Amino acid sequence: MAELKLLHMYPNLLDLYGDSGNVEILKYRCGLRGIELKVSRRIIGDTDTDFESADIIYLGGGADLEQQMLADDLLKCADGIRAAYENGAFLLMICGGYQLLGQYYLDSNGEKIKGLGLFDYYTEASSDKRKRCIGNIVIETKIDGESYKVIGFENHGGQTKGVKTEFGKVLAGNGNEFSSAIEGYMEENVIATYLHGPLLSKNPKLSDRIISYCMSRQTGEKYTPAAVNDKLEEECREVLLERLLGEK
Amino acid sequence: MSVKNSLTIWFGKFMVKCLRLIGRDAGNAPGLVLWTLNKDCLKAFKVECPIIAVTGTNGKTSVTNYLSHIFASGKGKIITNTQGNNLDTGICSLLLANCDMKGRVKADYLVLETDESHVPVIYSKLKLETLVLLNFFRDQLDRNGEVETLILKVKKFLETFEGNVVLNADDPNVARLGRANPNNKNIFYFSVERYSGATDEPYEVGEGKFCPFCDTELVYDYYQYSHVGRFHCPKCRFGEDKPFTLIKNVDLSAPSFEADGETYKTAHNSIYYMYNLAAVYTAAKLYDFDKKILHDTFEHFEVNNGRLETFNIAGSELMVNLAKNPVGANMTLRVMNEQECEKELLFVLNDNLADGHDVSWIWDINFSIFRDVTRVVTSGTRAYDIAIRIKCSGYDPDKIVVRPDLDDAMEELFKNSGRKFAIANYTAVQPTRAAIKRYKERREANG
Repeated sequence: MAELKLLHMYPNLLDLYGDSGNVEILKYRCGLRGIELKVSRRIIGDTDTDFESADIIYLGGGADLEQQMLADDLLKCADGIRAAYENGAFLLMICGGYQLLGQYYLDSNGEKIKGLGLFDYYTEASSDKRKRCIGNIVIETKIDGESYKVIGFENHGGQTKGVKTEFGKVLAGNGNEFSSAIEGYMEENVIATYLHGPLLSKNPKLSDRIISYCMSRQTGEKYTPAAVNDKLEEECREVLLERLLGEK
Repeated sequence: MSVKNSLTIWFGKFMVKCLRLIGRDAGNAPGLVLWTLNKDCLKAFKVECPIIAVTGTNGKTSVTNYLSHIFASGKGKIITNTQGNNLDTGICSLLLANCDMKGRVKADYLVLETDESHVPVIYSKLKLETLVLLNFFRDQLDRNGEVETLILKVKKFLETFEGNVVLNADDPNVARLGRANPNNKNIFYFSVERYSGATDEPYEVGEGKFCPFCDTELVYDYYQYSHVGRFHCPKCRFGEDKPFTLIKNVDLSAPSFEADGETYKTAHNSIYYMYNLAAVYTAAKLYDFDKKILHDTFEHFEVNNGRLETFNIAGSELMVNLAKNPVGANMTLRVMNEQECEKELLFVLNDNLADGHDVSWIWDINFSIFRDVTRVVTSGTRAYDIAIRIKCSGYDPDKIVVRPDLDDAMEELFKNSGRKFAIANYTAVQPTRAAIKRYKERREANG
C-alpha cells in the first residue's frame, strides 16, 4: 500500500477552529485512493521529531496564549522544517501557523514574537484589538494553471504584509489585511492561509492537489488521483458560492 | 429615587404599554431601548429579594428551569427568564415587565440565566446573592472570542464579589475561579464521582489542559466528558479543594445518583445532565429546601424546549437536543450510542448571527463513534457543511440525505419509522421543534 507521512505540529495547541479537520480530510481522501496517510505529532519538548521523512508538515491556528507557549519550541524546529521545505516537502499552514513561519508577529501590545523566518512576509496586529477580519471568504487561486475558487472562514487580527506570491485573489472577504486584494502565501510546495472551515472541507481539489504533489514527488512520476464521489462537496460549493458571491 | 431613575422606569413602562396597545409582545425591545438611553438603567430597579444567577457555556437554560421549579415549589413568587433571554437587555426587559412605577420588583426570588460575558455588567448594577458556574467550553468563537477571555471577564467580577459562588470542581476552567477572591469564604464546589462511562484518556478536544496558576500540565485521574473530570496540578495542587457537594453512585440505568446519603431518581441519564443536577442540588442546598421537593423535581420535571425533548410521531420516537458547540453535540451522540438499536440522526445546522457565523466547530465533534446509525438527514442553512463533516469521518455518503428546508427534512426523516435523534444548534432548535409539530399535524390530518 502506498504511504504518505504527515507531521502535525502541536495538535494539542494549534487546533482552535476545527483545523485538525484538515488532517482528517487528507487522511480520508488518501484512503479513498488506497494511500495510507501516517500522522505523527510534534508536542512541546519532543526531541525525536522526524522532519526529514515527512511528506507534509502541517500547522493549524491557535489562541494567542497557546501561540506564545509554543513560540520557543518552534524556533528549535527551525532547521528541521527548513531542510524539509528545501527538500520539497509540502508545508500547509493555517492562520497562526501562517504567521509563525514568517519574519515576525507584532502583537497588539507592541510585543514582537520572532517567526521562523522561512518566508519574507511579516504580520502586525491591528492597533485596535477589537478590529478583526471575521467572516466568510472566497478567494480565487490557481491549481495546475486552472482557476479554482476556495471557500473558507477567516478570523484574524493580524495584518500580513510583504507577500509576493499570494495564495489567491480575494473575491469576497478581507484577506491578508482589511479589504486586501490578496490572501495567503503560496509556492509550489507551500500553502499558507487564514482560511479556516477547515480549509480543505469545501475545497476538495485543494486536498487532491496536495496529495498529487506528494505522490508525484515520492514516485518521480506524475500522479493523478482517481475521481471520487464529491457530490456533497460540489453541491455545498454551489450553494455557498451563490450566497457569498451573489451577496457582493 | 433619582429623577433620572424615575424617568427611566416611567419611560420603560410607557413603552411596554404602547407595545401592548398595538398588540405586540414587548420582548427584548424595551430593554434594548432603555439600555441605549441609559447605560445604568438596571440601577433604576429596586430588587430587595435574593438574586440567583446561572452562567456557563452549556446547561444554563436547563439549570435555570430546574432551580425556578424548585424555588417556585418551595418559597413563593419567583421571577425568571426560563426562555433564555439572558443578555443585559433581556434581563432589563424582564425586570421592566415585573416592576411597579417606582421600579420596585416584587418577588421572593429572582432566578436569572445570564450569559457569561454579561455577568460583570449586569451584577455590577444589581446585587447578586448566588452565582452558579457550570462549565466553560469553546462556543461561538467568532462572537465570544477565546474561552480564556471570557473566563478572565468572570474572574475580574469575582475578585470583588463576596456572595455565594457555586462552582463545578471538575472543570478546571471553572474551579480556578474559586480562588478569584481569597477573602470570599462562600465558595461551594460540586463534584461528581467517576461514572461508568468515564475514560482514562480524553476523547474529545477541550480547553484547560494547563494549570492556570503555574502553567504545568494538569494530571487527570479520569475524564467524565470533554475536559471535565478529576484533575489536579502536580506542582501547585490546584484541583484538590474539598467539594461541598459530592455526587456519588451515578447509575445511568436506573437512572439515579446519590447525594448526602440519599438516592435521587432522575428523569434522564446522561453524565452531562447529572452535572446539571449536581449544580441544581448544590444551589438548592444553600437555600435549605425540603428534600421532598428535590426528589420530586429530579424524578419528574422536564425542561423540554429542545433539551432532551422527546416526541412520539407515527410509531417513531424522536429525541431533540440543542447543541451549540462540540461538547453538546458529543454528549447527544453518546446518549444516542447508548441505545442498543438501529437509529437515524437529523442534524440541523444554522450559521445565523446568534449561532456564530463560523461553523468550523463541527469538525471537533467526534462522529467516528457512530453505532448502528442507518441514515443521516441534514438540514439548516449549513446542511451541506455538516453532511461533508459526517462523510469525512468515514460514514457512507450514500446514507446521507441533505434537505436544507426543515419541512422537507421532516418528510425525509419520517419516511422510515423507528428510533430517531435530532441535534440542532442555537437558532435551529425552535424552528426544528416547530417543523416537528407541523409534520405531526400533517400526519394526523391525513390520518
